[in-house]
Amino acid sequence: MRRSTAAAVGTLTGAALIVGVRLSVSAPVVPSAAPPVVDLANSGQDADPPPAASSGKKPSSKKPAAKPTEDTEGEAGGSGLKNGIFKGSAAKNPYGTIQVSIKVSGGKITAADATYPVTGDSATINPPAIASLKQSTVKAQSADVDAVSGATFTSESYVKSLQAAIDQATA
Amino acid sequence: MHHAEHVMGTVVSIDLADNLPQADLRAMIDDVCGWLHEVDRRFSTYRDDSEVCRLRRREIEVADCSADLRHVLEACADLWRETDGYFDAYAAGPLDPSGYVKGWSVEIASARLVEAGSVNHCVNAGGDIRARGLSASGAPWRVGIRHPWEADKLSWVLAVSDQAVATSGTYERGDHVVNPRTGEPARGLRSVTVVGPDLALADAYATAALAMGEAGIAWLAKLAADGYDSALVTDDGRAFSSAGLPAAV
Repeated sequence: MRRSTAAAVGTLTGAALIVGVRLSVSAPVVPSAAPPVVDLANSGQDADPPPAASSGKKPSSKKPAAKPTEDTEGEAGGSGLKNGIFKGSAAKNPYGTIQVSIKVSGGKITAADATYPVTGDSATINPPAIASLKQSTVKAQSADVDAVSGATFTSESYVKSLQAAIDQATA
Repeated sequence: MHHAEHVMGTVVSIDLADNLPQADLRAMIDDVCGWLHEVDRRFSTYRDDSEVCRLRRREIEVADCSADLRHVLEACADLWRETDGYFDAYAAGPLDPSGYVKGWSVEIASARLVEAGSVNHCVNAGGDIRARGLSASGAPWRVGIRHPWEADKLSWVLAVSDQAVATSGTYERGDHVVNPRTGEPARGLRSVTVVGPDLALADAYATAALAMGEAGIAWLAKLAADGYDSALVTDDGRAFSSAGLPAAV
């Protein structure tokens, strides 16, 4: 059962690393704090009241201890997962250190969270800082335009440019 | 009235759409061309007697420079910080503020036109555009963004009023843009266009993003909050655009 927990944490860590790499950017304007993606203390994914609450215990905290911890009661159900909050080992990648934690209740993973770097080049991988551009494929179109924006041409290459054709047509 | 002027190592196309006497429009174009040639004399890195070259040789100190050049130097320093060092007037070694000067000089040219009575014009300095008001057709200016592989095609068409459109790309002058952090030519992005209120800033942002490579995609996305939209094409032909890009219908 320990092994399966470790496997789950490992998979999440791997996923976080992929996310970290894919979203990495290089120029943070303002380092920002890293609110959790998933609220471990109050996960909405579990419809039933968590066993921890019914036993009068609360999960230790939103930010679990550095070592994997098992802070609530024992096995639940046949899944082999122990209830509690588990934190994976910190994984370093070129963009910073990412640490994943999961919450298990009722024998199921009910929440997952990852800490993100908050300073340096990687600060902007924090989800709130991610703004994205819409992706498509580049189009090649012809249209009637007043001016053409492009990489600066020289006086020599101007003659071959679309802008030169426009200038001639409107001269 | 339309005019194309060879200046600053490129060609500046000036389009005035105001219903004013021809003589007035002619005078405005002459004034703008005079200003652009003045900028070339004072800021060109190719003219030994320019203020920029004299500062490079330490014949004059920053304190002795004109107010215009001190403004340019300060703006370049601000942009260096704002772009995390990717816009760098010293990327190639000695001071070269050309990446800011062109857009700045066109902003001033446009302001001079407004002062002289032109509220509908479009100035295109070698691919970097400042537009105001409406075109002669009564609609916003239609600005095409050059396709990064097919010189006679467009990858986007924008409807632009009172905005600047700047494009930096690797297709026109080869490895002209370097990543100032590595000294290596910029890789990853083929063409970056930034649309926003100020041409000098739009141009600097486009150049910085190009230097960043693919990391520039997420960096550009954040500029939208400051009123700078963007459209870019990667080396492998993927296109990205921000939601506020003023695409023409």
